[in-house]
Parts: sequence; structure tokens; C-alpha cells
Amino acid sequence: MLKEQIENILLKVRDPSRYIGGELNSVVKDKSKVDVRFAFCFPDSYDVGMSHLGMKILYSLKNKRENFWCERVFAPWEDMEKLMRENNIPLYALESLDPIREFDFIGFTVQYELCYTNILNMLDLAGLPVKAKDRTDDMPIVVAGGPCICDPEPLADFIDLFILGEGEEVNLELMDLYAEMKKQGCSKREFLSEAAKIEGIYIPSFYDVSYNEDGTVAAVLPNVPYAPKKIKKRIIKDLDSIYYPEEFVVPYCEIVHDRAVVEVLRGCIRGCRFCQAGFIYRPFREKSSETICRQTRSLCESTGYEEVSLSSLSTSDLSSIEQTLNMISEYTDKEKISLSLPSMRIDRFSNELMERLKAVRKSGLTFAPEAGTQRLRDVINKNITEDEIMRACKIAFEGGYTAVKLYFMLGLPTETDEDIVGIAELAENIVDLYYQTPNRPKGWHVSISISCATFVPKPFTPFEFEPQASFEEITRRQKLLLGSIRSKKRINVSWHNYKVSILEAILARGDRRLGEAIYEAWKLGCKFDSWDECYKYELWMKAFEKTGTDVDFYAHRKRSYDEVMPWQHLDHYISRDFLVREHKKAMNGERTPNCREKCSGCGVSKAIGGACFGKD
Amino acid sequence: MEKTELRAVFEKKGRAVYISHLDLFRTMQRALKRSKLPVWYSQGFNPHIYLNFPLALSLGVSSSTEYMDFSVTEEVDLENVRKRLDAAMPDGLSILDIARPIYKNKDIGYAEYEICFESRGAGEKMLSGLDKMLAAETIEIDKRSKSKGTVKMDIRPYIDIKDKKVSEDTLTVSIRLPAGGDLNINSNVFTEVFSEISGIKFDSVCAKRTKILCKNGEKFI
Repeated sequence: MLKEQIENILLKVRDPSRYIGGELNSVVKDKSKVDVRFAFCFPDSYDVGMSHLGMKILYSLKNKRENFWCERVFAPWEDMEKLMRENNIPLYALESLDPIREFDFIGFTVQYELCYTNILNMLDLAGLPVKAKDRTDDMPIVVAGGPCICDPEPLADFIDLFILGEGEEVNLELMDLYAEMKKQGCSKREFLSEAAKIEGIYIPSFYDVSYNEDGTVAAVLPNVPYAPKKIKKRIIKDLDSIYYPEEFVVPYCEIVHDRAVVEVLRGCIRGCRFCQAGFIYRPFREKSSETICRQTRSLCESTGYEEVSLSSLSTSDLSSIEQTLNMISEYTDKEKISLSLPSMRIDRFSNELMERLKAVRKSGLTFAPEAGTQRLRDVINKNITEDEIMRACKIAFEGGYTAVKLYFMLGLPTETDEDIVGIAELAENIVDLYYQTPNRPKGWHVSISISCATFVPKPFTPFEFEPQASFEEITRRQKLLLGSIRSKKRINVSWHNYKVSILEAILARGDRRLGEAIYEAWKLGCKFDSWDECYKYELWMKAFEKTGTDVDFYAHRKRSYDEVMPWQHLDHYISRDFLVREHKKAMNGERTPNCREKCSGCGVSKAIGGACFGKD
Repeated sequence: MEKTELRAVFEKKGRAVYISHLDLFRTMQRALKRSKLPVWYSQGFNPHIYLNFPLALSLGVSSSTEYMDFSVTEEVDLENVRKRLDAAMPDGLSILDIARPIYKNKDIGYAEYEICFESRGAGEKMLSGLDKMLAAETIEIDKRSKSKGTVKMDIRPYIDIKDKKVSEDTLTVSIRLPAGGDLNINSNVFTEVFSEISGIKFDSVCAKRTKILCKNGEKFI
């Protein structure tokens, strides 16, 4: 038993309750009575991973099945990792405290590119070879899913099997198949060959990649007869009836999102051209008010949480939003549970929505105009006008808010200096609006925070063809923005580190050859790359140099419309024709109406056998 | 609003010893919420379940008698409250009793601990180390204080050993130490100073709080 060894080091680390399990609603089973053990790994710290909804859903779903046992695993923070390595404690799962190298599956959910090195580090800490080809039949099958898996190629060396799209059905199918084949004593190769036939399963070792002389991909082709040429992602057809947890594991220490979360819809109708989530999670599907209320109530009751969040990519687009809020608040008001609505669109912001939010907490409001001028907002298809922004801010100021946070991106395609100055002007106009609002909060000044990310082109978006702006150019634009702000006391500007965004850009559209660079970076000591205090840009650059990786090729190169992308063999039902069409419209500053107004023919309706809207 | 103050006596052991004091606060609020008892909320813009812990417990120390105060807005049967709250507790925490409080936080004067030191084959060595330490006239430690920074302090007069048990590998010490607002000495302070002075490297140290007492020597309730 590892328990004693773990307990001997626990009091020497920060927040030890993260490493010992035993939380309310965590699931402990008798390992002699289960067929398949699954170590669900989140390649980041406990407080980040425990906030992730997808993990909660799949954890409960798998554990509902008597013969499966799914346990949680997170990346230990550096102090813990050091003590684990010194005391020969391998990476273990929180429920049983058993080493995960004894499990049947090790599964990673891959939410962002900056966690790739943590995946390698966790495999190593588990006592396993990090490369798939070096792992033998007696070792667990290593699988991965999540949004980054829409281009999993940079991880192909390390993972045995990728899961494309939504996991609720395919995970169980995969585990059922495994349970069956385990009984028959099949080899890993035999299992993978069968798994390849399940829709949504992609086995990278069954495909060969060839390259053109200029370094671009020539083709990705199966090297075995039973692997499909194109692998389709999985889609849950009926969101309203799909499994949703009635309980969450309730952590002891504070986590990033420490509340009950009810997912109200999947997909997004908006089609903002920079947003990968807006395309890869299509089609748009909603839950009914009744389902949302029922799930809210059971989660709150089983966890004791005093806050519930209605979560989605764009919660204000829920067609039954008003009715749902009315129904839910009958319960939450009585129980003194506060309600939070993340991901609000400016154009859907109303007095009534604000009143609901205010009942909770009068913190600042956050909106995402993304670009400073109407022209550029049209290019990115963020269908929001300056009037709508002003109207929302006016409602907020009249309602007592004094702080507004605005998200923008720098380096968007076609961006000019005028667009940068436009960000400053927009903020100045909001400051003026505040002082012109007669019934603004008395005795308070306004505070506007501008937060700028650097645009990262992502696969399956109309901007997948676009280069990322260079470091010099982004730095110049940041200076221009700062210089354009007049009300320096009222407007505060901050931005993400470009050196992080460039790594994202390289990995997001990478091919298999990047595996060597990731391996090298990890060997050099890179991990927790999404944490400013841990990120080591110089080491990453060294890794790229050592492996002969041309950073510009991946980050700063414009792709042609007919280039074979490294992810071309993966089908997310978003057609290339659609992306090209959208890209051309973007270059002309033409907007595309949202899916509710008019179908733009992205291709996803094919997957659900008909139109996304207007069927009922 | 009418309210009745209640004091829960609870046990903290197993994996629950790694719940910090701050985290215990949230843990208990959530448990009270799950119990559906008619709990009293602090009034104000952002109402919260009112809780008071008369004496904090150090991280890593288990306890057979911890106290937590809360209030209810209706007449309740104490045993019924105990059952319902206990059913809502996570692993390692259990509600032993619900009582009406008699004493106040400021009445707390002492706490007793049972500390088990383990070092393979060194039972007797630990015992003689302890006796030697206690034979000294003074035991000086560095005590941090908010106003004066780190100050030297002699804790020998405050160490009241109630019992010692020795086996081949272990030494178990029952000890009474000052606790509460006026002067608080954690069991960890004793453990650290013992390790430092005796020079013994323990394989493990297990501390458990067994009693909380008033200044007058009565059991705190």
C-alpha cells in the first residue's frame, strides 16, 4: 500500500488534501469486483482539473457502471513531485491510492496545448515509457480526448488511441470492448485493431504521414486495412436525455471553479471566425428548462454548494433562458444559492439578466468585443455593434456597476493600426458614457480593464490558414494601444505573454514531427507551461532548435486553401469548402448570420441527418 | 430572527486530518447545507451560514473532540440534529454530540494530546531523550508574534506530561498544553522541539487531540 508512504510526505507539501482523496462523493469500489480500471488524468494541478466539467461527467458516467472503476489523477505540483520521486512513490489515483501503471486505461483529457509536457511527465512519474512504441502489452492503454485532439498529431508518439468528439457513448463502448477482449486474453495490438472500428476512435500508429519537399503534409494514409481513411468525431444527438451527474466530488481545498455546474447547451450558433470551440462543438443542442432545473436541484442537494453556474459556450443563447431563470430562481432564492451566468453576450444583456446577477454579487461585468472597430468585428464575425456595447454598459452603470472588463485580441487577420486605436477609443467612450449617465453610482469612479490576448490561429476555424503575427509586430501594437489611452487613471491595459501564445500557435496546428520537440522540451525540464511561474520559453526554443523545428513554418506561415492539413484525416463535420468560404468572406469584411437566423452550410447537419434548427 | 445556538462535538481522523482550518469551514458549511437543517444565516448583503470554531486544530493532527458552533432558527431535537448532520459528513468527520454551549471561546485554557512517535527499535532511546529534555530547567523556542516578530520563549513550565508509554518502536506521550486566546502552544511545537533537542529522526509522528479544557480545568462544552 502506498498510503503510508504518501502520508509520510503529505505534511511537507502545500495543500495536502489535494493528494489523498477521500472527498465527498468520490467513488471507491472493490477492485477485485471490477473488470476495467480507468485512470482519468487531468494534465494540470488538482485545483484546475477539479474545475473541469467534462471530467466530472465522464467520471460519474463510468462509475455508474458496476464493472468499471474510474479514478481521478492530477499532475502533482512541483513540491509534491519532488518528494514523490525522492521516495519512489509512483503516480497514483486518488480513490484507491494504487499506482496507475497497474490500471487498464490511462486517459488524458487535453484541454489546451500548454499541458502537453505534463502528459509526458505524468506518464514518466507513473513509471511508464512516455513513447507508445516503448510500452509493452502488460502496460495500460494510454488514451486521450478533448478539444486539442482535433489536431492530435503532435501527441501521436505518446498516445495509443485518441477519442474524437463527445465522450459519453464512445468511452463506454471502448471499455466494453476492452472488458470482452481482456477475458479472451487478447494482445494490445489485437485490441487496438478492434477499437479502430469504433466510430470516433483514432489509432495514430495505424496511419503513415508523408511530407512534401516544402515540409507540408502530402498525405495521411492508413497502413492497415481495418483503419478508416477518415475518422469521424462522435456527437451526442439528444442532449436533453444524455447522462448528467447527480453529484460532483466536493473538494476540500479551494479550486478554480468551486461550485455546482449545470451544462445548459452544447455548440454555438455564433460562428465567430477565430473561435475553435464555436466550430468543433457543433451542432447547437439545448436542454429543456425542466432538465436544467432538475439537474441544478440534485447537484446542489448532493454537494451542498451555495453557488450554481449555468455553463455553456454562450448561455445567453439558450432559447428558454428567461423561463429557465424564473424556474431555477424559485429554488435557488429559497435555498440561498447564488446563480452565475458565465459567457454572456453583450447583445443579450438586459436589465432582467443583470438583476439576476446582482442578486449574487456586485462584482465587475465582463464582455468580449474582441476587436476595436466595427470593420474588424465584421471580419471575425463577432456580430456585435458599438451601440450594443454602449447600451449594455449603460444598463450596467444604471444598475450600480462601476467596473467593466473587456476582452480583446491583438494580431487578428487584417488588423490595422486603426483597429488598435479603436480599442482605446471604445474604452474612452465607455468612460465618457459613465460620467454622462445621470443615475450612475454616486461617489464612485469608473474602472475599465482591457485585457488583450494574442490571436492564435486554430484548426477547424476559417482562420486556420492564417499566420500568427510576429513578436515584433505584437509588441509594436501593444505600445500603440498604450499610447492611445488618454484616461490612464480609469483604463487599465494588460496582456497575455506573447511567448506563451507563440507556443500555442506552433502546437495547435502541428504535425507528427513536433512529437520530438515536445519530448525534448520535457527532457529539458518543461512542465506546467500554462503557469507563468513555470513556463520556460528559452528551453522550448532550445528544444525546437535541437530537433530542427522551424518555428516560423508552424506559427507564421500562411497556408493555401488546398494545403493538406496535418488533421485532414479527422472529420469534425466542418467542411473545407465552408472554411474557405468563410475565410473569403472574412477578407471582404462580410458577416455570416448566426445558425438560428440562417444555416451557413458548415456541414454538421449531415451528421445529425437534417437541419439543426426548425425541426420541432 | 429568533435563533438557538448549538455546539457540535466532532471527530476528525483518517484522510480528514489533511483538511486545513480554512477548508474545514467550507466543508462544514456545505455539510450543514446538505443536512437541510434550519440553519441560521448571517444577515447582510451576502448571507452565509454562521459558524464558529472555538479552537483551531493544526493540519495533520487528528482529534476525538473538536467543537463547532452554529445556530438554528427553529426548536430542534438535539439527537435528531446530530443524526442528520452526521449523515451529511464526509469521510473522516463524524458528529459525536450536539449540545447547548455553556462556555465561551475565551474560557478555553488547555488542550490535551496523545502523540505517538515511531522510530524503529528506538523506543527506549526516545524515552530517555524525552526524560533528558524534560529534566532541563528551560526549553527555549522561537515564538512568532504579530507585534514583536520572533521572540525567545521558555515553554518548559507549560509542558504537563500526563502519561508515557514505551514499546520497542514507539513512544506515546499524553500531554497537556496551554490553548486558547491567551497562550496557545500547538502539539507541533512540542514535537518539533523534541525532535530538535533529542536529535532523533522519527519514522512517523501521529498526534491526536483528546480533550479541550477550560481555564478552571473543567471540560469545555
